[in-house]
Amino acid sequence: MNMLTTDMVPTVLATGDPARVDVNVAPKFKAGDRVTVVNLNQVAHNRLPAYIRGKAGTVTFDHGVFVFPDTSAHRQGPKPQHVYTVVFTARELWGEAGHPQDRMYVDAWDDYLESAD
Amino acid sequence: MNGIHDVGGKHGFGPVLVEQNEPYFHEEWEGRMLSMMIACFAAGIYNVDQFRHPIEKMDPRHYLMSSYYEKWLCTVEQNCIDAGIVTREEVDARHAQLMKGKAA
Repeated sequence: MNMLTTDMVPTVLATGDPARVDVNVAPKFKAGDRVTVVNLNQVAHNRLPAYIRGKAGTVTFDHGVFVFPDTSAHRQGPKPQHVYTVVFTARELWGEAGHPQDRMYVDAWDDYLESAD
Repeated sequence: MNGIHDVGGKHGFGPVLVEQNEPYFHEEWEGRMLSMMIACFAAGIYNVDQFRHPIEKMDPRHYLMSSYYEKWLCTVEQNCIDAGIVTREEVDARHAQLMKGKAA
């Protein structure tokens, strides 16, 4: 078992546990693509907020390749994939309660998104 | 997991309260909790996702009533149990011992 030594602490505190990985994986989407969020209801870990499931949005940015939490949390490997920022209109998420000019930006892994075209 | 942690869009929690000049820790034990979290991480007991998942699985009543670092305690305990380092019985016995000391 590894041990944390005093000299390691400043580095650990400064860097945390980066989930970004240096693996070449092809992105499924690019900025400007219209996407729909999958209706995921698994008991296993995921980082998909309930309020965007089934909603349509637009990819605005590709952050690169990251470890996939759904598998990583269960010792099923990193399943590295792209993470994007997706923008939703408040009306898409909250219906008439959403302000017509508000937008919500949510980061989402590749496996959470399907093409809306 | 459709757990209690996913409160986005829920009504009734009131405004987010921002504390002025917020200290790093409100209690001394919270600093020790941070140390334990990092030590167990460095020991390879969990990654960030394995750290998060037991917090989602907390009893919903406990989740809503517990502080940030109490949630950390719950997941460090659960991960150490899952790794075979301590047993649930040992953790519960220690809790009982500490509560007894507090009452005395």
